[in-house]
Amino acid sequence: MRLLLALAALVLSGATAAAQHQHGKPGSTPEAFTATPAFGPDGTLWVVRPTGDRIVVQRSTDLGKTFAAPVTVTPEPMNLDWGPDARARIAVDPKGGLIVTFGTFQDKNFNGRTYFARSSDGTSFTQPRPITSDTTSQRFEVAGVDPAGRVFAAWLDKRNVTKAHAAGRAYPGAALAYAWEDGDAGFGGTSIALDNTCECCRLGLAFADAGRPAVAFRNIFPGSVRDHGVITFRDPATPGPVRRVSVDDWKIEACPHHGPALAIAPDGSYHVAWFTDGAARKGLFYARADSGDASYSQPRPLSAANRQPARPYLLANGSALHLVWKEFDGDKVAVRWQVSHDSGRQWSPPRTVAGTADASDHPLLVADRQRTYLSWLTKNEGYRLIPLGDQP
Amino acid sequence: MRLSIFLALLLGLASFGTANADPLPFERGSWAKLSAAHAGRPTVIHFWGLTCAPCLVEMPHWAALKKARPDMRLVLVAADPVPQDPERLDAALARFGLDGTESWSFTDRFYERLRYEIDPAWAGELPRTVMIDRSGQATVLPGVADLAQVRQWLDAQSKSQ
Repeated sequence: MRLLLALAALVLSGATAAAQHQHGKPGSTPEAFTATPAFGPDGTLWVVRPTGDRIVVQRSTDLGKTFAAPVTVTPEPMNLDWGPDARARIAVDPKGGLIVTFGTFQDKNFNGRTYFARSSDGTSFTQPRPITSDTTSQRFEVAGVDPAGRVFAAWLDKRNVTKAHAAGRAYPGAALAYAWEDGDAGFGGTSIALDNTCECCRLGLAFADAGRPAVAFRNIFPGSVRDHGVITFRDPATPGPVRRVSVDDWKIEACPHHGPALAIAPDGSYHVAWFTDGAARKGLFYARADSGDASYSQPRPLSAANRQPARPYLLANGSALHLVWKEFDGDKVAVRWQVSHDSGRQWSPPRTVAGTADASDHPLLVADRQRTYLSWLTKNEGYRLIPLGDQP
Repeated sequence: MRLSIFLALLLGLASFGTANADPLPFERGSWAKLSAAHAGRPTVIHFWGLTCAPCLVEMPHWAALKKARPDMRLVLVAADPVPQDPERLDAALARFGLDGTESWSFTDRFYERLRYEIDPAWAGELPRTVMIDRSGQATVLPGVADLAQVRQWLDAQSKSQ
């Protein structure tokens, strides 16, 4: 047992051999450095992590103080996506069943393939299977469980790029694709919600209701302007129109690798945080809307652009709305936290809830019933689950 | 910690020992060294990345400009957010015909720090070009550079000599 714990600590510690590989050694492949959490209905903490060419899941019953031995999701080594905004993810269904999603690279041109694996109790996982049968390219997958317990997945898909090129047409970006899990058969057919979105930023996912996912993404607006939009589904098969979050006017023929965060509060209000380097504004911003159909408020800047604020995350938990991001003061990276109890109109002053002096993953938020936690992997400190104060 | 020192030493030895022009490791403090080495001489520093598609399209234009303007002191810095294999960077530079150019590559996953040392307000977007004149005055060209503007700047530098 002690050996297992030591092993677990080693895997979860940022100072593993895997972490050391990140210093561009000759002949080396870059590696992902992420840890993504989810709580089960019984309060078990699940964390999914890539370690080199494998994906492992670990469970903790004491809020991340100790972890059981890692369970491997990928029986064979895989060429995992190490992009700066990519991440292996985990979600838990109402029965406590786990779904892990992750991406791989198919080639050196960043064409990806998106996989999922299932487990009823976390002791073993099904052989990873592609989410979609199309083999062109998928990346930035995200899966979530809707209020009725059904699993929804969305990702960025390049199948229409190939079709457009074959027809002699240009196709900027990638398509926002989605599928619903279909019983034991895996995911059902793939549909395209929207063409020509930005191709390498993470997606933000929340649910307006059962069968009504909402996805926040960096879109490509006319003139190659890469600002943010939100789509809310009217029903499981009908994506609604794009609601633009703000006009930042970030005209760029490249992909910024900075995706947005989205939360929907119990009152139906929408909350988005995002990074931009647009002509209209630069830095990290937050805006709210009364509903999926309402327009967004004037963007509120988080921190100052010369502190490199980035990687926001939003989580609605009961009446509390939590917001974190990271910033850098020239010496240390700090995770800053704000909370609102009035649907995002007023916020507590930003507070530093964690810091580090070396490389770090994006800060994430995770909730277990009434409690909300910061989940953060850093090279020096390893994995940390930090309770946020000001709880009900 | 000891392991990372060991690896750093190995890395240093590897880049020292190879005969080809692997990029110099750009780590904490490298920006100060790079700037000091070129201080007092007009220098064009171009930030690019293997993971940046428009950069790969732009690089051959830089190769052509360098050929046309031997007076240009060009320094290339591969600033991929996740450090890339130096051998692959080197191969890409050779393909562009830029293998004889002074070249660096980010080797530290503490990306925030490297960017902050260069410019605290740089959000990391690539490509990016910084032209530093004799007095140390920097002109930043974010995104794909307008090479006419670079040529103009080079002309102004030779006139002010």
